[in-house]
Amino acid sequence: MKKTLALTAFLLGAALAGPANNSLVIGTSQEPPNIYDPWNTNNLAVTSEINGYMTASLIGLDDDGEPYADIATRVPSIANGDYKIVKNAAGDVVRNSVTYTIRKDAKWSDGTPIKVADFQFWLRLVNDDRVPVPDRSPWNRAKITVADNDTFTITYEPPYLFADQTSPSLAPSHVMGAAWNAFDAKTKNEKDAKVINEEWKKFISAYTTARNLPKVVAGPFRPTGWRSGNSLTMTRNPNYWGHPKDQDKYVQTVTYRFIPNTNTLKVNILSGQLDAVSAVGLTFDQGVDLARNERGKYKTYFVPGAVWEHIDVNTRGQKAKDLDMDDPRMRQALLYSIDRDALVKALFQGRQAVSNSWVNPISKLYKKDVNDYNYNPARAKQLFAALGWTPGPDGILQKGGKKLSLNFSTTAGNTVRERVQQILQAQWKQVGVQVNIQNYPSSVIFGPDFLSKGQEGKWDLAMYAWTGNPIFEEGNLFKGEGIPTAANGYSGQNNPGWNNAEFNKLHKQAQVEFNLADRIKLFDRMQAIWNSEVPSLPLYYRVNVYTKVPGLVNYTFSAYTLYPSWNSAKIGWASRGAVEEYKQK
Amino acid sequence: MGTYALRRVIQMIPLLFVISLLIFMLTALQPGDPVDQLVFGNSNITSEDIARLKAAYGLDQAWYTRYFFWLKQALTGNFGYSQDFGIPAWDFVFQQRLPNTLLLTVPALVISTLIAVPLGIFSAVRQYSALDYVLTFFAFVAVSAPVFWVGALALYFFAVFLPQATGGMVSLPPGGLGSPELPADANWWVVVLDKLKYLLLPLMILMLREIAVTLRFMRANMLETLTQDYVRTARAKGLADRRVLYKHALRNAVTPIVTLLGLSIPGLFGGAVITETVFSWPGMGKAILDALVSKDFNVVMVCLMMLALLTVVFQLLTDLAYGLVDPRIRYS
Repeated sequence: MKKTLALTAFLLGAALAGPANNSLVIGTSQEPPNIYDPWNTNNLAVTSEINGYMTASLIGLDDDGEPYADIATRVPSIANGDYKIVKNAAGDVVRNSVTYTIRKDAKWSDGTPIKVADFQFWLRLVNDDRVPVPDRSPWNRAKITVADNDTFTITYEPPYLFADQTSPSLAPSHVMGAAWNAFDAKTKNEKDAKVINEEWKKFISAYTTARNLPKVVAGPFRPTGWRSGNSLTMTRNPNYWGHPKDQDKYVQTVTYRFIPNTNTLKVNILSGQLDAVSAVGLTFDQGVDLARNERGKYKTYFVPGAVWEHIDVNTRGQKAKDLDMDDPRMRQALLYSIDRDALVKALFQGRQAVSNSWVNPISKLYKKDVNDYNYNPARAKQLFAALGWTPGPDGILQKGGKKLSLNFSTTAGNTVRERVQQILQAQWKQVGVQVNIQNYPSSVIFGPDFLSKGQEGKWDLAMYAWTGNPIFEEGNLFKGEGIPTAANGYSGQNNPGWNNAEFNKLHKQAQVEFNLADRIKLFDRMQAIWNSEVPSLPLYYRVNVYTKVPGLVNYTFSAYTLYPSWNSAKIGWASRGAVEEYKQK
Repeated sequence: MGTYALRRVIQMIPLLFVISLLIFMLTALQPGDPVDQLVFGNSNITSEDIARLKAAYGLDQAWYTRYFFWLKQALTGNFGYSQDFGIPAWDFVFQQRLPNTLLLTVPALVISTLIAVPLGIFSAVRQYSALDYVLTFFAFVAVSAPVFWVGALALYFFAVFLPQATGGMVSLPPGGLGSPELPADANWWVVVLDKLKYLLLPLMILMLREIAVTLRFMRANMLETLTQDYVRTARAKGLADRRVLYKHALRNAVTPIVTLLGLSIPGLFGGAVITETVFSWPGMGKAILDALVSKDFNVVMVCLMMLALLTVVFQLLTDLAYGLVDPRIRYS
């Protein structure tokens, strides 16, 4: 009878999600290429979010950035002796190490105990040249020493700044080991990288795709169905050790619906087809629109995120020199000329706060008291005049027969950025700066021939975003060594080409400063220098928009956790008895 | 006709090679590659990492070297893996995307043709009647209205407004391929009905435009045919209107429809990009677009080569079909 009713409900179009069957339906605008690839050979956000349901880690970070133990029995620290820093005679840290003990009840979803061998297997592959891992830091300097089946020490030499806040991953060696050995034998003497890559694809796709769901996982949920292009379903993993007490009261099934068109995603929310939306889904505008139409059916959240919007100022090449872009006063003047407070109020209802540093405001390293460059056109005009720029007959600033005319580029089709551009263009015009908008597809902007080749004068101002992780902040974006040049194969992220000797020196010191209080001091000075020179014009940190229906608890995230799946074991419905531990901030 | 067909088939082979070379070249010469997309946003990545990844994906080689590698493999039936989906590109296209597209586009073409051809004839025969005005107006609106707009309106109407207005009694799902919550052991008829429920809206939107285009085409052909001398002669001979219309005029008026349909068939396999996008229908159109954007080269090649092959094959079949419907055309 119950089944008949359920099927009837389907045919009538009523969703069966929510408390009725203690399941959760989440909408997202992206479909992951694969899931639970332990080596994360793709870096899509939606993959990381979905993996969060199936992954367990030695330690994790909660919404406040505080570490908690998951597979490990406790959080390593200097106080409990699990985290060690080794210094040489000069007092420099030469290596650091973390010891983890795996909890006795930690098991893979097939019931096999999680052992040190699983971490060793993962580490061996992450450093294998045949595995196309995007980057290997810090694992390329890490070694595992085994104490027993359940206890091991990972040593970083040279030392890793954040060793106590991250942990090595793991892969089911009992499931993948034999296939890896076959791959190893087949490709050991293979010279052609494309052939190796094909073999790698065969190996990894046997465990991670819609056709070959992961065989075993370690996290709270295991995948049970993936209809490519439509949906992915995960059900509670009975062998996961960290389920809350009375786990029946928490969500038993999680289904991701892939809805690539965000307007269609919006209609799905309005029509009540979704219980929640992924962190990867709605645009800011859609969030604002949805917030106006809630009517108690769902609630819209705007979560301060880790993505920093800014405008790089090109200081390289002859054109930049002719326009004084390599002089900090010009960049300060450009920043004083724009009213960022009015802009965030007009476009984002003030929900995205103006930023004055590349460091995430929730990071312990963030310096609050830097110059805020509040809108001050008079000060801007003074600075332009000090540089010799005077208004011409058409109102445009000029100097030595040259007009202050700048090419302003961003990713074409990004409507938010295009709107910001128009506002800024109008504001700069008020002080006599002519700005010509020249946008390109993101493949061009982020391609090999644009941002990194600033010395060729392809752009003057470029608006885009970086992810500013509040935990793993090293200050790498603006280091002098990071200026892309022909000599370094145009790698590095310092696209403005800003090179400050003191900043570079402090950055080097900060990279090996293991004392947080001292690192904060170094970052204070680095941010003060950066803020006075403004190699990039800081705009704002983006917020992540999502919705969820009332009564869904522990579906939260922050710039520390990034995705609501970080706490997947505890997601549930209040009406089914789930206890709320985390509220969305 | 056999010799003619054979000659055309042989001509297709070098043509398809040239097409594959052009597609590969144009795709490879786009700015950026999959590694650029991995790199951006990852401040930990080093120049060594970039070089390692480009070498692994073969992106450090010239495009023509990569083309010959692809061609060598393709000739043995290996079309490589999809970069984005981690499965063979061939399987991705033919097992995961093409069936969805055909499920949407074949009924759309068949039903709309069956509806539009009689309506077009009727509209032409009853030119300037009230119904002719209604049909012409409908065709004009349906052709002019952008699919993404009509689709969005339909979504909102059937998935949000109607359920609210009827207390949930009448509703259609707002996009997707089927109910993810459908039990695995559901009866076949439940699965079919569920699929139909999801298919209905995109099918309606796709048919709307197809009907309008074919109706206008049929009406114009029929009107032109009805003014021909042989139709006047037939009428002058005192033949009944019905006989003149269906025996003499219709056969000639339908001939261009064969061309229209013949050339529409590769389009059926190519998918309806906008309809698929608006309704989150995972078909070929969306797959081609996504593969081009994310530089999933192997998927791009499989999709576009399939479309190229279908285009030349159906061009040939259309030409041969002329001989069948029009006795004046002979290939000997």
